[in-house]
Amino acid sequence: MTTIQICFLLLLSLSFIIILGFIYKVWKVALFADGGPKPSISRLAKLGRLPAERAEISRWAAYLHRVSGFAIFAFLSLHIIDVSTFAFSHSAFDELHKIYATWPMRLFECGLLFALVFHALNGIRLIFADLFDVGIRKSNILLRALLVISIVTTLGGSYIILQPVLN
Amino acid sequence: MKNNTPVKSFISRELSYIALRTTGLLLAVLALGHFLITHITNDVAETDSNFVIHRWSSTIWVVWDVLLLTSALIHAFAGLAVVVHDYSKNPKSRVRTLRLLSIFVMFLLITGLMVMAVSLYRIYGTGA
Repeated sequence: MTTIQICFLLLLSLSFIIILGFIYKVWKVALFADGGPKPSISRLAKLGRLPAERAEISRWAAYLHRVSGFAIFAFLSLHIIDVSTFAFSHSAFDELHKIYATWPMRLFECGLLFALVFHALNGIRLIFADLFDVGIRKSNILLRALLVISIVTTLGGSYIILQPVLN
Repeated sequence: MKNNTPVKSFISRELSYIALRTTGLLLAVLALGHFLITHITNDVAETDSNFVIHRWSSTIWVVWDVLLLTSALIHAFAGLAVVVHDYSKNPKSRVRTLRLLSIFVMFLLITGLMVMAVSLYRIYGTGA
C-alpha cells in the first residue's frame, strides 16, 4: 500500500459515509411523508407494503432514483480527483488504478453498473411519461420492465467484471 | 416538501428542467458508453495510462470525455438542486446549500477540464 492508494481508500470511505447519510435523510423524509417523524413497526410495514396497489412501486423508484443519482455523483467527484493524478505522473495514475482491479472494488463496480443502468432507464421513463402523458398504469408497466432489464444487465455485466477474480 | 416558498435562484426552473433532461439523455449514451469500454469490452486492469493515451489519440474520445464531464456535472447540479428544494426547510439555508454546491461543482468542472488540457499537452503538446 502506497500513500496515494491509502488517500484514495480514505476518500472512498468518506464517500460511502456521505452516501449512507444521504440514504438516512431520504429514509427520514419518507417516514415523515408517510405519517410521522419516528420509525415504528407499523410505519415500517406501511413503507414496505406490496406494490400491488396505489402505485407504491413508483414511489420506491423515486427513492432509488434519488439515491442512485447521489451515489453516482459521489463516485464521480472521487473519480475526477483520482484521475487528476494522470496530469502529474502516469506512474502514480497506474499505481492508483491498480485498486480498481481488486475484488472489493470490482464488487463496487457491479453496484455502480446497477446504479447507472437503473438511473438511466428510469430517467428515460420519466421523460417518456412527461412527453407522451402515458399515465400511471402504463408507466408502472414500463417501470417493472426496466427493473427486470437493469437486474439482468447487472448480472451479465457482473459476470464479465468479476471474471478475472472468479478464475 | 414541507415548505413551498419560492426561492429566487440564478437559473430559472424551466431552464433547469430542460437542462436536467437533455443532459440526462446525453449521459444515457456517454456514461454507459464510458462504463462499457472501461469495464465490459476491456478489463478494468488493462485500462491503465497506456490505454488512456491510446484512447485520447482520437479526437472523438477527447470530445466524448469533455462532453461526459460537463454534462454529468450540469446534470448532477440540476438534480441536486431539486433534492435541496425538497429537503431543505428554510429558504436561507436552501440558497446557502445551493451556493456551496455550485462552488463544489465548478471546482470539479475546472479540475476535470484542466487535467484533460494538461494531460493532452504533456502527451502531444511537446511536438512529438
